[in-house]
Formats: sequence, C-alpha cells, structure tokens
Amino acid sequence: MSYKLKGHILIALVCFLLGLMLVAQFRSTQKSGSALTSLQRIQELTTELKTVMDEREKLREELAEMRKRLEEYENSAANVSQVTEAMKRELEKARIAAGLVEGTGPGIVITLNDSNLPKQPGEDPNLFLIHDEDILKVVNELFAAGAEAVSVNNQRIIATSEIRCVGPTIMINSVRMAPPFVIQAIGNPENLESSLRMRGGIIESLQVFGIQVSIKKQDKIIMPAYTGPIKFEYFKPVKAGE
Amino acid sequence: MLIPIIGLILGILVGLLVPIDIPISYAPYASIAILAALDSVFGGLRALSEGHFDVNIFITGFFINALLAGFLAFLGDKLGIPIYMAAIFAFGVRIFQNLAIIRRHMIDRLFRKNE
Repeated sequence: MSYKLKGHILIALVCFLLGLMLVAQFRSTQKSGSALTSLQRIQELTTELKTVMDEREKLREELAEMRKRLEEYENSAANVSQVTEAMKRELEKARIAAGLVEGTGPGIVITLNDSNLPKQPGEDPNLFLIHDEDILKVVNELFAAGAEAVSVNNQRIIATSEIRCVGPTIMINSVRMAPPFVIQAIGNPENLESSLRMRGGIIESLQVFGIQVSIKKQDKIIMPAYTGPIKFEYFKPVKAGE
Repeated sequence: MLIPIIGLILGILVGLLVPIDIPISYAPYASIAILAALDSVFGGLRALSEGHFDVNIFITGFFINALLAGFLAFLGDKLGIPIYMAAIFAFGVRIFQNLAIIRRHMIDRLFRKNE
C-alpha cells in the first residue's frame, strides 16, 4: 500500500505543478487578450481623429479667409499713394520668392509610382516602394537644374518644407500623402528633364527596382501656392547697419 | 485517486494566490510544460494501475520530457520551424493512449467488483 501511496503523492506533486502552470498560462493569455486594442478603443480614436481633422479643415479655411482679407487691405492701401504702391510691388516679389503666390510657366511633370515588378520571395519589399529619400533626391535634382518652383502632389516646396517618411506615407508641409507622387517643376523643361535622365542619375537608380517613372514636358504648369501657416518663433531678423 | 486531485486543486489555489506571470514570449514553452506535466500524470496513473510504477522513471520522465520539449521549442524558435509541434503531437497521442488504458483498467475493476 505504501508503494501506491508513494505513487499517488508523486503524481499529486506533478498535479500541483500542473495546476500552478495552468493558472499562470491562463492569466497570461487573458492578459494578452486584453492588451490587444479593443474595438471600442479603435472607434474612440477614429472619432477623435475625425473631429481633429474637421477642426484642422476649419482652421485652414479660416487661414485662407484671413489671407484674402490681408490682400484686400493691401489693395486698398495701394490706392492711397505711390509709396505704398512701390511697397506692394516689393512685397509681391518677396511673396514669389517665398512661394506664397500661385503661378504658371513651362516645366515638367514627373509621376512616381510604386514598383509593379513581381517580388521574389526573400527580397526586401522596401526596395520596391517610393521613399521620402527618393522624392527628396528628385526635388533636389530639380532645384539643382534651375527649377524656380517645385510642388509635390500640389504641396509647394518652400524654404521650410519637410519631406519626411511617416509610417507608410510621406509628409510634406505637414500633409500626408501616398503614391502616386506628382512632382511639378517650373523651369527650362529641357534642362530639367535631362538632369533627371542623366546616366547614373536618380531616374535610372529608381528604375532598377521597377519604380514607375514618367516625365512629361509641359508648356504651362499651374504651380499652387503654399497654403500652410507661417510662423517664426525663434528667428529674429537683424537690421542692416546695426 | 483522491490525492492527485487534491494536489491539482492545491496547485490551482496557490497559482491564484501567488501572482506568477509568464511573459507572452514564453507562452509556447509554458504550454509545452503543461502538456509534459499532463502526460506524466496520465503515464503515472497508468503505471500505478498496472502495478509497475517506478519513482525514478516517473520523476526523470517528467523532467526530461519537459526539458526536451522546451529545447525543441527553443530550437524551432531559432530555426523558424515549429518543431514544438512534434512534442505537442507526441504528448497528445500519449495522453489519449494512457487515458484509454486507464479507462479499461477502471472498467475491468468495476465489473470484477460487480461479479
């Protein structure tokens, strides 16, 4: 009988361990279940995002409204005297340099889209996507070739524009965008195109991975103005002669 | 038959009282350890009812099975192959086999008592 009792006690010991592990495992699976984002949370965040986006849209409209009013003030001021007329011309020049004015001119339109090559298993899918760096390089090349104004998906590139990867999208002027990317540039169309098509240049390196590139020369491109906010918090201009 | 059940209940109680946490990355190891323990329990019960229970074989069987299964899970993790499936499969088959044999013994004993 003691033989049987011994066996039972040993089995009871293993059973004890089993119970312990069962509870621990049960607890950890329960915890991991709750760690996943619940549907409710997703809905909450979605509505929150939507309200914030609506708000942003409203603010953008407000900004456009304010700009328009400013313009009206300038126009009315210009009527007053020739001095203000000259000042207004000067202001217009500065605006053009800053990219705050819509304009037209000859140039090229480049369309970039993700690769449609069949991917081989084991290949890095990242190579077949357009990255912020690719756009940055194209824009850089265009400016180097003498482009006077460049926009990406209707976002004008100005002095403070960023071209940055944000998850699966690219952010320019704080606006997120996804492929296809339409890059417009105003300048000498021949120069712009040949600078991109240079042997060993940016287009060639993109086409290795099957990125779809099309370049069209156009006589008239409508270049949008920069519509985002302009804020200088830290920069203070130094007056000449001081 | 009563003592193992008491052991199981005690284990569950202690587990509830003492907060032991298994990180999620170790979940496959824990599940395999649970299977190894289950397999040992049924194997031990079977051996007891057949009368050839050996303390050493029982204890070493439990630990070595659990270790081997854990090692397989680890290896599978590193190689990207779910080798731990082999352990789950082997333990699962054995658990059902042992259960069937225990059931037969129990039925035998019941009928012998009735006769």
